[in-house]
Amino acid sequence: MAALGRVSRLLLGAAAPRSLPGRSMSAAAHEAGGARLWKLLTFVVALPGVGVCMLNCYLKAQQEHERPEFVPYAHLRIRTKPFPWGDGNKTLFHNPHVNALPTGYEDDH
Amino acid sequence: MAHQAHPFCMLNPNPWPISGAVAALLTTSGLAMWFHYNTLQPLALGLISMILVMLQWWRDIIRESTFQGHHTLPVQKGLRYGMILFITSEVFFFLGFFWAFFHSSLAPTPELGGQWPPTGIKPMNPMEVPLLNTAILLASGVTVTWAHHSITEGARKQAIQALSLTVLLGAYFKALQAMEYYEAPFSIADSVYGSTFFIATGFHGLHVIIGSSFLLICLLRLINFHFTPNHHFGFEAAAWYWHFVDVIWLFLYMTIYWWGS
Repeated sequence: MAALGRVSRLLLGAAAPRSLPGRSMSAAAHEAGGARLWKLLTFVVALPGVGVCMLNCYLKAQQEHERPEFVPYAHLRIRTKPFPWGDGNKTLFHNPHVNALPTGYEDDH
Repeated sequence: MAHQAHPFCMLNPNPWPISGAVAALLTTSGLAMWFHYNTLQPLALGLISMILVMLQWWRDIIRESTFQGHHTLPVQKGLRYGMILFITSEVFFFLGFFWAFFHSSLAPTPELGGQWPPTGIKPMNPMEVPLLNTAILLASGVTVTWAHHSITEGARKQAIQALSLTVLLGAYFKALQAMEYYEAPFSIADSVYGSTFFIATGFHGLHVIIGSSFLLICLLRLINFHFTPNHHFGFEAAAWYWHFVDVIWLFLYMTIYWWGS
């Protein structure tokens, strides 16, 4: 606890003169207690907001998603040139459950 | 002992600029060689040398500033201009990809079924994980501001807490996006929809990785007493960059994720 005080004084003591003419983007313009405001905003607004969105995602993920039927559209699953990895036919984040190859889904489901 | 009669930082000759240029050349030509000639070595060499140059160049900058005191106010002013100009150039970089997205989506061609999203594309629900990602980045903007005020007020423990939270939120975003990429029902090869989606969000993700790495370095420096309440430009630059990344996401979310669905 006392060490914290000493460290704070060290940090403040090492500071250059605060108000210099011509310093436009200076730290001296900040009002005291600004940290308290943003700490409050963090724990009362920002993090609870994230929590609410997390809950929303969790609830929505509970419902089963139907995989769309495979239709060999010409504008999808374009393979102008093989990919430089693997067999050249799978995209970088290929997921066999939801991504079909140009010839169709690899698995039954 | 010699004294300089001016406030500017006169650097000694150092190998990083030329090495960085060589690394960039190796990386770019290595990428092309990987795509067309199935050889991975130049790319690997390029990426490794790029990381080495970055680590050593920025280590030297920390030595020149924190330990040798060369970053006087005029020098800092120059660095501020530099960071602002760099971020501006990155804004224009993303502008191009937004242009591409609107070019294709405002007037969808017959090949796509004359509609946007194109026929057969099932877009992601913007109210699920993308919304969570938006909340995460906005929250991280709040925590980084808390960190900045804490640094200015000399509140060390709070600053470390706030900056750690910011880095954690960034990691959470990256993890969620990676999962989204894997679970997406469409890929980059699925018409111009896939191209614009993954190029725009992909480059954004790369910038999230860059930005959170920058913040992590700042956290380590903060813990090691590098910053003072009046002089912490490295942190400010990281915070500016992070806000820029957040703003880009907001535009991505509103245009590609929401309007584009």
